[in-house]
Amino acid sequence: MSFFGFDTNLPRDRGQQRNKAPGFGQPQDAFADFAGRDAAAGEALDFEETYDGLANQLDETGDDFNDDTFGAGPSVGRDFDFSGKTDVVSQAIEEERMRYAATRPAPMVNYQQSQPAKPKKTGYEPYKDNSYIPQLQADANLWGTAPKRSPGPTAHHRQPSQPKAPRKAMTLEEVEATLRAEAQQQARQPPQPPPSAPPQQLPNFSFPQGQPQQSRFAQPIPPPGQPMSYSHPPQILQRPHQQGQPHGSPQQPLQQPRQAELPGQGISQPQILQRQQRPQPAQPPQRTTPVQQAQQQRPPHESPQPRHILQNPNRLSGHGQPMAPPPHQQQQMPGMQNFPRGMPPTGPGNHQRGPSYNGPIVTNPQQILHMTEEDKAAFMLEEARRSKRNHKIYMLSKDNGLMTPQDKNFITRIQLQQLVTATGNVDSQGPEAALDEDFYYQVYAQIRGASRRDPHQPASQFAHTYLFQTGGRYGMRRNMRHGDNHMQRMEQQVQRAVEAAKAKPKNKQLIIEGSLGKISFSNAKTPKPLLNLKRPEGENRPSSAARRPSRNPNSASSERRSTLRNIENVYGTLMRMEDHERNAPSRLSDDSDTATIQMHMEWREELRNLNQKLWMDLKVLEPIIPNSPSQHPFIAILGHPKGKKAIPRVFRHLEEEQRLTVITMIVVHLDQLDVIAHALPSLDSNTPAPLAVREEVDLFAQVVMPSLFSYVNDAPLNIIVGLLGLIVNRTTIPAIVRTKVGLSILTMLISRAELLRQASSAIDPSEWDQWVSLYNSLFDGTEPSLPSIFPGTVVEADDVHVWQFLAAMGVAASPEQQQRLVIGVKERVMETVGVSRTLPRELGEQRLGHVNLFMRAIGLDVDLLG
Amino acid sequence: MSSPEGDAPSRPDEPLDLVRLCLDEIVFVKLRGDRQLSGRLHAYDSHCNLVLGDVTETIFVVDEEDDDDEVKAITRSHSEMLFVRGDSVVLISPKPQG
Repeated sequence: MSFFGFDTNLPRDRGQQRNKAPGFGQPQDAFADFAGRDAAAGEALDFEETYDGLANQLDETGDDFNDDTFGAGPSVGRDFDFSGKTDVVSQAIEEERMRYAATRPAPMVNYQQSQPAKPKKTGYEPYKDNSYIPQLQADANLWGTAPKRSPGPTAHHRQPSQPKAPRKAMTLEEVEATLRAEAQQQARQPPQPPPSAPPQQLPNFSFPQGQPQQSRFAQPIPPPGQPMSYSHPPQILQRPHQQGQPHGSPQQPLQQPRQAELPGQGISQPQILQRQQRPQPAQPPQRTTPVQQAQQQRPPHESPQPRHILQNPNRLSGHGQPMAPPPHQQQQMPGMQNFPRGMPPTGPGNHQRGPSYNGPIVTNPQQILHMTEEDKAAFMLEEARRSKRNHKIYMLSKDNGLMTPQDKNFITRIQLQQLVTATGNVDSQGPEAALDEDFYYQVYAQIRGASRRDPHQPASQFAHTYLFQTGGRYGMRRNMRHGDNHMQRMEQQVQRAVEAAKAKPKNKQLIIEGSLGKISFSNAKTPKPLLNLKRPEGENRPSSAARRPSRNPNSASSERRSTLRNIENVYGTLMRMEDHERNAPSRLSDDSDTATIQMHMEWREELRNLNQKLWMDLKVLEPIIPNSPSQHPFIAILGHPKGKKAIPRVFRHLEEEQRLTVITMIVVHLDQLDVIAHALPSLDSNTPAPLAVREEVDLFAQVVMPSLFSYVNDAPLNIIVGLLGLIVNRTTIPAIVRTKVGLSILTMLISRAELLRQASSAIDPSEWDQWVSLYNSLFDGTEPSLPSIFPGTVVEADDVHVWQFLAAMGVAASPEQQQRLVIGVKERVMETVGVSRTLPRELGEQRLGHVNLFMRAIGLDVDLLG
Repeated sequence: MSSPEGDAPSRPDEPLDLVRLCLDEIVFVKLRGDRQLSGRLHAYDSHCNLVLGDVTETIFVVDEEDDDDEVKAITRSHSEMLFVRGDSVVLISPKPQG
């Protein structure tokens, strides 16, 4: 059933449907209007006048036997009964019209008012009738489909003759005009219809929008005088919905022309009104009369009409009535959905090829022709840039609006929250927590001596730094101002957040009075602990003392493991000490109160304990067992890279005496050190030590030697004498001098002694004598090895330390010893000088410089050898 | 950082204490998916997530359809630093194999 007066039954169905009882045959109605439209348009066009004669060119002979094949049924004929029924009721319609017109004061006003009046149906008309009893039945509108279906048959039943009426009115000229108008309209606005707009969107278009468009499209339609029925507004209305463009023209005047047709038509208005009435929720047949009276008495109202219009697009879209929401919802849609969904599709499109893009191209051709070459080139360049920019904007704007401002706010709040938990805790939970929060930053700051030495420093500094760095990104952008603004806002926000976090007590647990349990909080930084295991104090102590002896000392793997364990213990203690150091209470001053002093005392006590523990862990004082197959534990610790790396850290926490002991231990076991024992080059070949050993040596030189050096550099002569004495007496000098580390240590000691002798006047002569005698024995021990103290071949350049050693020896040596030295290394000197001449200038200079270290020490120069 | 390391265990109390002894040592790590790593252990955690330095990774390509697990190809790659997610670690051994 159509609301617009089409007989929606296909010709073949018509007779059938006619015979059906009302209420049946409705299922077809879902597409009834669609079909009806097709039928109307198709049949209306299928006139002899429009026949172009193409069919005459067909070979008709093939059809000759069609009747034989298919049987000659009763001819379908062309007398489809579009208008017959309408003719029957046209009389009544005319009457209605007359009566309607009679209620109007003047025809002109009538037209003016009738159009706006038409949509004004409120649906409450029945209630004006005293005898009207509202239907005690669920509002069929709820099902969306119902309002159309159920009234349909009722109408049929009620006025069997009327439905046909509008069909007659749809003449060929009108249909053609309509189609033309549509075509024109579309041709006129090619970019407007969003081609991608899904058909489902059609129902979303609101009536208010559609109505103006309707009127707009009504304009091109043939002027008054031509018979016209309201059966075609649906067509008109449907198209405009697709256009989806806002239209500002007032509907009333524009619709007038069409309205003016009505009198000529003579049947439309009342007819339409009646049909509009039908969709009113299932009015029982016996109510018909009051309803009709109501219609006739009162100017028609708007609401039913919109519903049809709204429902109609639905059909056009092919989704059928069932898809359409109930009219009430539909009428709400304009505000809710229509704009968000209906409009945006054109938005991005406009953005991309909107006026800035499309416009110039349209207007340009003439302009370009008149341009000079340069202008043209410049213009094209400009144009390319512009389109590129537009494209970029389009690409960037693709995701625009993905997040609402609220979303962004939410994210910002989360980030701020993180910031505050990262920093806020610092202020409320003390340095311990600060270190836990960002240990690496703290240590880094400590090492750098940065401003945040004190963990209590306002955390906003941290936040500030953080934000400042983030701000860098804004700085790179073009819109500096905007970024700055944003930054400022952000900073203020952070400051506020930090302050708020400070103000808020930060308990990790909440114990509600009277309750048995505690509520523990968690945040991103400190998750709620699921397990809280406390290791009983001292549980792992007892084995400590007995461990080493209890193990089989000969087992290499167990020894290695115990060494590794020792190293780990050292590191553990080290970390505790470093941690303890960071927790140092504020400095003591004269007016410190007792509590502070007490804290200091405790802190120092703890420090002392830790120091002792570290000392024990280092195993320096383990007894030296001569000729033991296993290494001294401390030396074993030094045998591991991580053991070596621990030394500089350990040295910081040791006292002078302990440092001396460490150095003594190293010196005593010099030839057992892996960096010496393993680094000994074999006498017969010049093959360099394996890579791993060389790495160890380098590591030792990098991390251990500086510690030793710094101590020795401050040591008095007697200590130097003692150390050198240990080397001379306890180690095998020929071996040591052939290693880099050994030579470095010797150089260190000798040069320190020489410095002491030159610098200070107060040298105990007996000590000096001691030193000289030791030096002599060292010299004697070294001399035989002089030819072999150089590592590798002459070409290999890694011999600086040897020249340094020789220089130290030369400075301290007597003239006679110097001569012996020169004799010992003369060959190497000459070779090096020779090689350096073949080398590139810079490298050669470098090598000669190394040699000169030694030559100058004994009062010579490489140039003299020239 | 006041961490459990403070009470440095002298005897392994838990398996990972053994891994701890391998810190800064060259370790051999066997991974799921026929992979092996050999490199210096810089760090680990309770999930056996590892940070290794100077790592040689060996990947054995095994034809799974053959029953005899024949190694079809061995791919070796070297990385300066590697983070190994703990869930793929099968074995950590102090001595690199091969």
